[in-house]
Amino acid sequence: MDFSNFFDCSWEGFINGITGEIWMSFFIMGLIVLIAVIIRLMYIKDDPLAERKGIKLLLETAIEKLENFIVEIMGKKYSFYTGYFFGLIMYMMFSFIIGVSGLPNPLVSLVVPLSMATCTFVLIHFTAIKANKFRYFKRYFEPMFVFFPINLLSMWSPLLSLTLRLFGNALAGYTFMTIVYYFTRALSSMMFGGGVGQIFVSPLITPFLHLYFDLFSGMIQTLVFAILSMIWISQEDPEDEEEMIKLSKQETI
Amino acid sequence: MDGLKYIGAAIAVLTGLGSGIGEGMICAKALDGMSRNPDMYSKLRINMILACALDETTGIYGLVIGILCLVL
Repeated sequence: MDFSNFFDCSWEGFINGITGEIWMSFFIMGLIVLIAVIIRLMYIKDDPLAERKGIKLLLETAIEKLENFIVEIMGKKYSFYTGYFFGLIMYMMFSFIIGVSGLPNPLVSLVVPLSMATCTFVLIHFTAIKANKFRYFKRYFEPMFVFFPINLLSMWSPLLSLTLRLFGNALAGYTFMTIVYYFTRALSSMMFGGGVGQIFVSPLITPFLHLYFDLFSGMIQTLVFAILSMIWISQEDPEDEEEMIKLSKQETI
Repeated sequence: MDGLKYIGAAIAVLTGLGSGIGEGMICAKALDGMSRNPDMYSKLRINMILACALDETTGIYGLVIGILCLVL
């Protein structure tokens, strides 16, 4: 491998090293921040009792649904995670939607899913340390002291699983769509000749494939990412489980 | 010897076998439940799609390993 780029500290080398996916990631982040600021400005002169319509109605319904969902899965005391999950879901949805337009989907670059999974990974261990204090370190020596290396390895499994699930799905869609575009281009130039004749077949076939690989599959993977993060974060707290067991016993009595 | 990486990629993609069987079983059981209790239809459908997406993961791991075999 050529490592000369790593030691290039000039601005030019830094900017040339950023790929198209990362530029799209910056663009999406800027777009989300812009929308958030505009909506916040709309709420300065707001009558809380007025009738909701338009974007306010949409947004408040979405946030309420998400908060109910989080309370249902994680419990009441974790409802403050709504902001984190709303940001995460918005970012992933925007990335998959931008993939439809032909611009590069940021999730195709391994760095982006890895950094999102790292956020969840840090939150998991932060919650565990906060809930268990020093008992947290006991889990690495669980059955016996000898199992320490195995436990240390299995610690990384949520990170790997979350990253590869999202990355693999985005990459599969991207690779398949690229192959289909090449195929339709060759087919069209066979039927209508080269030059302008290359563009006629692909609009008839590709929209439906985009609908499945980008929108449907993307939304499902977004949902799965969010739900798995919620479950992994909330299961680190043992008190919650004891309460649940108590509740279920009371119900049976 | 360079061609061996294609054979490796093909073996990695064989994980789709297990993932396909699993998805079939999930759909069969979900349809069973739906036909027994049609009131639960919408709830079961959402959970079925979720379980399918979770089950797809093993297949996706194989795909990622296969693509890495070809690229690296």
